[in-house]
Amino acid sequence: MSNDTFFNNDWLDLQRKYWDSWSAMSRKAMGQDGEANMTAPWEDALNHWWKALSPAAPDLSRSFMEKMMDQGKNFFRMAETFSNRPDDGTATNGVAYWTKALEDMQKQFSGSLDDGGNAMQRMMSFWELPLDNWQRMMSSMSPMPGDFLRNMPHEHFKGNLDRALSAPGLGYTREEQSQYQELMRSALDYQAAQQEYSNFYSGLGMKSVERMGGYIQEVIDSGKSIDSARALYDNWVRCCESVYADEVATPEYAAIHGRLVNAQMALKKRMSILVDENLGAMNMPTRSELRTLQDRLQETRRENKQLRQGLNALERRVAALAGETPVSATPATALKATAPATKAPARRRATKTDPTE
Amino acid sequence: MLPIDIRPDKLAQEMLDYSRKLGQGMENLLNAEAIDTGVSPKQPVHSEDKLVLYRYDTPEGVTPGAVPLLIVYALVNRPYMTDIQEDRSTIKGLLATGQDVYLIDWGYPDQADRALTLDDYINGYIDRCVDFLCESHGVEKVNILGICQGGAFSLMYASLHPDKVNNLVTMVTPVDFKTPDNLLSAWVRNMDVDLAVDTMGNIPGELLNWTFLSLKPFSLTGQKYVNMVDLLDDPDKVKNFLRMEKWIFDSPDQAGETFRQFIKDFYQNNGFINGGVKLGGREVDLKHVTCPVLNIFALQDHLVPPDASKALKGLVGSKDYTELAFPGGHIGIYVSGKAQKEVTPAIGKWLNERS
Repeated sequence: MSNDTFFNNDWLDLQRKYWDSWSAMSRKAMGQDGEANMTAPWEDALNHWWKALSPAAPDLSRSFMEKMMDQGKNFFRMAETFSNRPDDGTATNGVAYWTKALEDMQKQFSGSLDDGGNAMQRMMSFWELPLDNWQRMMSSMSPMPGDFLRNMPHEHFKGNLDRALSAPGLGYTREEQSQYQELMRSALDYQAAQQEYSNFYSGLGMKSVERMGGYIQEVIDSGKSIDSARALYDNWVRCCESVYADEVATPEYAAIHGRLVNAQMALKKRMSILVDENLGAMNMPTRSELRTLQDRLQETRRENKQLRQGLNALERRVAALAGETPVSATPATALKATAPATKAPARRRATKTDPTE
Repeated sequence: MLPIDIRPDKLAQEMLDYSRKLGQGMENLLNAEAIDTGVSPKQPVHSEDKLVLYRYDTPEGVTPGAVPLLIVYALVNRPYMTDIQEDRSTIKGLLATGQDVYLIDWGYPDQADRALTLDDYINGYIDRCVDFLCESHGVEKVNILGICQGGAFSLMYASLHPDKVNNLVTMVTPVDFKTPDNLLSAWVRNMDVDLAVDTMGNIPGELLNWTFLSLKPFSLTGQKYVNMVDLLDDPDKVKNFLRMEKWIFDSPDQAGETFRQFIKDFYQNNGFINGGVKLGGREVDLKHVTCPVLNIFALQDHLVPPDASKALKGLVGSKDYTELAFPGGHIGIYVSGKAQKEVTPAIGKWLNERS
């Protein structure tokens, strides 16, 4: 590693020393044999470590490492939830403990457990990953954050809003009023579709807990045990993925998925119409006009290329009839200059939202 | 014995190890530098709009066959998947079997390409690449290898231009788009594709990425980064991981009109099975595909399920139809060590026997 970066050997040594001391302290706190019951501040420690490290990390590495930190937190949360051993360490109480943990997970998904934002609540956010993926993707395609409607009240105001949006526009600006009403309606429709999508996943979360319970029962029956955070996390992911695979193959999900995408597109379309209206008002070319030109241009190019192809074929035939050598009968040789393919810069960086918060 | 028995000291050790690997891995991440993709030497020989046709250099000691092999990749993602690293390269394997390999790089369509249609791609770009190869090699037909959506394109091309295709190889190619296990097809059926294309113009690569990652969201956007931590102490493995990561997220936008037609004709109307696909005023009928066909599919493919590919049997007019089932996934068929040993040599052998 070069010395002109922050991450030189000195820093790594420092960082290792920090962890060594932390580890020693935590072992001491738990007792030499590690049997003492302790609610370990795993996530706080991991966060503390990352806060010390991340500001100096280059952007590229930082975002990548953050992904790994996020997932690391997920599997330590899982372990935190399940690893608090009962005081007497008996198998009976142990079974009771994880049964309660599973019940708490189910309550969390059904919204009936508020544990003050502790590990259980944060762990449940794991199932928000698909929704988070959608929001990040939408952020990259939109001038607004992907979750801009997520926390807006919907049901409470829906009736009043519907009435207001149904009111006919009047006077000289009637059309404009109508367009803004359509925009609001599309936004509400999208919000409803997003809510429906989110609700679908909370249902799956409960099913995953059930499947995890089944898996734990299999572990009991086999006489084995899960003894690492990683094994616990991997099995949780496996349970979630298998439940997800079952459920997203249903017609119900296909319909929800379709409504989400369609509602988003309808909202974007309303926005585009308004943008075009404003561009037109400023006497600037609109997107609609550009598309008409693109279509006409492509038609012309298509015809030109077909004509040129036909002409070349005719030339070859004539040359063959005249006994001449075709113009090109040698193996392909390199073009002198061809610009490498590159993608246009991203329209907008995906909004970073922490699924764990 | 408790079913979950994670001792606090062991948990502390796990977290310590995890954080240490992250910290040490930062060094390897920083040293990874720019991610190179596409390792085999190649030359651009023909270009049109954003398309570039590349010819790969023949390795020393290998005499290429007389009939060139044209690789038609999908419009989704980038073709360097076929040549992603030195020891995982389909291209390299094909060159070693004596194929004269050409590959179409479609580039990155932008809004100026929005009006390109399937007809423009099949009867335009591909046909002109084939003409270029026929002319420059002095042959009347070429061999074609179509990959995924590029396989569907190749089937359409071979159906409409059977006189120009010597042999056709299709890899992980969807033919029946409505098999029960085809999640993508089920999801797309409820999508208003007209609304999407009319709104967006081109379909953003990000939207396609989200769709593909949604097939296995916890593994593909979560668990793999935990697995990555275990690789961080090996610079080569880090680089390979980052190379794959780049490929996954290097998604060109899709030309709107082509996307509209492809989704409607195939994902919604299952055009190879039910018919009704028309390009340039001519109907696509797989019975017109009369050249020898090698159809390769992956048994654990979650994007193009095996049954979606196997439907080709019985639809083509060819009397020389061969299937090759690969025990792996949609990507593994190009990048796994097993694929280098089994798939690529099999393609080369099959082509050499028929060229």
